[in-house]
Amino acid sequence: MRIGLPLIVARGASKGSTLLAIGLICIVFLPVIPGLVRMGFDFFQISHWFAIWQDTQTIPALMATLSSTLISGVLALALSLSIAIEKYPSNAWHSIVKRLPSLLAMPHAAFAIGFAFLFAPAGWLARAIAPLMAWDSPPDWLTVQDPYGMSLGIALAIKESFFLLWVMMNLLGERHIAQQITVARSLGYQRQQIWRSIILPQILPRMMWPFAAVLAYSLSVVDMALILGPTTPPTFAVLVWQWLSDPDPQRQAQGGVAALILLLVLLTLGGVLRGVAWVYQRATVDLDGLRQPNRFSMLSWLYQFGVLISFSLMILLFVWSLAQSWFFPALWPDELSIKAWLNADFTPFKTSLWLGLATSLIALVMVLIWLEWGPQRNNAWLYAPLVLPVIPLSAAQYFALLVLHLDGTVMGLIWSHLLWVVPYVLLSLVGAYRQFDPRLMLTAQALGYPRWQACLYMKWPLLMRPILGAFALGFAVSIAQYVPTLFAGAGRFSTVTTEAIALSSGGNRRTMAIQAVLLMLLPMLAFALAAIASHWQAKHRRGLR
Amino acid sequence: MLEIKSLCIKQSKQALIGGLNAQIAQGEVLTLMGASGSGKSTVLHWMIGALDPIFSATGELILNGKRVDQIPTEQRRIGILFQDDLLFAHLSVGQNLAFALPNEVKGQSLRRQVIEAQLAQIGLIGFYDRDPATLSGGQRARVSVLRTLLAQPQALLLDEPFGKLDAVLREQFRAFVFERVTALAIPTLLVTHDIADIPPQGRVLQIEDFQHA
Repeated sequence: MRIGLPLIVARGASKGSTLLAIGLICIVFLPVIPGLVRMGFDFFQISHWFAIWQDTQTIPALMATLSSTLISGVLALALSLSIAIEKYPSNAWHSIVKRLPSLLAMPHAAFAIGFAFLFAPAGWLARAIAPLMAWDSPPDWLTVQDPYGMSLGIALAIKESFFLLWVMMNLLGERHIAQQITVARSLGYQRQQIWRSIILPQILPRMMWPFAAVLAYSLSVVDMALILGPTTPPTFAVLVWQWLSDPDPQRQAQGGVAALILLLVLLTLGGVLRGVAWVYQRATVDLDGLRQPNRFSMLSWLYQFGVLISFSLMILLFVWSLAQSWFFPALWPDELSIKAWLNADFTPFKTSLWLGLATSLIALVMVLIWLEWGPQRNNAWLYAPLVLPVIPLSAAQYFALLVLHLDGTVMGLIWSHLLWVVPYVLLSLVGAYRQFDPRLMLTAQALGYPRWQACLYMKWPLLMRPILGAFALGFAVSIAQYVPTLFAGAGRFSTVTTEAIALSSGGNRRTMAIQAVLLMLLPMLAFALAAIASHWQAKHRRGLR
Repeated sequence: MLEIKSLCIKQSKQALIGGLNAQIAQGEVLTLMGASGSGKSTVLHWMIGALDPIFSATGELILNGKRVDQIPTEQRRIGILFQDDLLFAHLSVGQNLAFALPNEVKGQSLRRQVIEAQLAQIGLIGFYDRDPATLSGGQRARVSVLRTLLAQPQALLLDEPFGKLDAVLREQFRAFVFERVTALAIPTLLVTHDIADIPPQGRVLQIEDFQHA
């Protein structure tokens, strides 16, 4: 007999611990509300709208943002779907999935810098074809920072296709999907038709929220847009961020209103998405029994090309960080040396390290308490920061910090990161936590352990692998924060992310490459350490593997 | 006739199954017995063409004189029934069946008629538009069998298809499946660990006999 979870909750959860769980989470979320309300008031003042309308940058910036967001969303979905359709299930699928973790761990900002190194007019690609075209100076290309945000959109699409594919991998891992494919094949259908008629209708509805997260991210991304997006005018997110950082209070209020406009754009896109999904689900399935042959799929090749680009730009970042001098059109630096590394500024690295460790540790404690003692239902709102644009949330956080005189403090900075780190840690842990066999907990409690001790000595050690994974993910999320770090830190803290972006406007590619490599290494180290630690714990315990 | 010729399955050089030979005549149900984890489902996966890549197999599968172990699942014309009914949750009962019906039955109204007639035969009149999730376990199992058979397979594989049903239902469902298979006169391989599943006067192979070759 299986004993249900509610019974155990009733046994062990006291009112006090539930309140503690809710209280901790509220510290992260509640202070954001006053700032949002204030922006809401400004939203109804016509003068701000007038100022936004008067600014000649507004319309082209909105256009660039819309085009980069749409390119990113649509292309990322197309790339990830086509590779899954082409390769799942097969041997090749396993190797594709195996590469995902390192591609996902790559921070967006480092990805953008590498992308620029590869495609900019003086980038590696231009150097590779320079002998053919007889160029001795960089070509007049608009490959990055084009006015329509296309290169930004494409870079985002490649990066986000890995995320969507990872989501798909988790959905496809369910046993009945693989068996359904076997059944459909035994009925005489081929791969692409099986996907169209059987698999997609089942997994697409469950990909709505991850896809919304991709749209929200692309819409409000600032760090990547500063490197790959258009400059004058920039994308709308960057423009809003500039207004919000303006010393003039009038400009700031205008920025707040514009941040809400960003939110409105997202809601509109979300509405369109719902509409498309509605039509898709009602589109009649045409079951005429006609077994159709597979067609050639070009997009799945493009996905593989995206993977190739991603690994190439990782290598390129390393090479640039070691390059002594590397002039156009040389394919390889004249000399490699670690001299720049010896003189490198490691302060941002140290800041990122302690900030990431502190934030993810606090987030982990909060999430564990929440999962054990918090309410079991209606938790979806905790994921809101993942599907909302960063800028309005970050601006609202800054408002709260100003009122409390906590702007530019370590505490304020850590708190600001928690709004994104907590949801990610929760998301990565919730599945394993809810699947934990409640009979184990009952056994421990029957042996006389109070609930918190049973957690400390039995449940959490048993869940060490997912807990370490969640911790590493939280660390990676904290490392990658750009806008919150600048706002809440009031410019007093420089992390590898802010430093790499700050250096991108200057001329020294070597120092920028060093910061980008550090930025790339930090999350990879965290994931590697988490994997090693759980492997070590499971060395003599087969049941933990 | 379905014929397995000297099948060997290995898992990284370690032999799992060796020298398995079997012939199944039209309308015959051959039972392959073995404890859970003994590799009998692996044989089945090889026959349908969905062998896990961690295994490697040699041997031949011949269906009505044609070698089929080298061709993809969708061209083998072998039907399969799993323990779970695996109805497609996004389709209605009737649409699940329409998915299996060959294209030779043309025209929407005719296709629907054929399926409704088939549903009536298994005691599910008026179930065409029902959501599979609202059916009882026994009803879902019957729809699942019907779906497999509507595709007109030339051989049938049964992977412990009675395992998840309760005792009474099991008895009825077993009789239902065997009756349909005999009517179609196709070779059938039943994989099970339960002696009660063996049809009357049916031949039995023990998987253990092929594991120490």
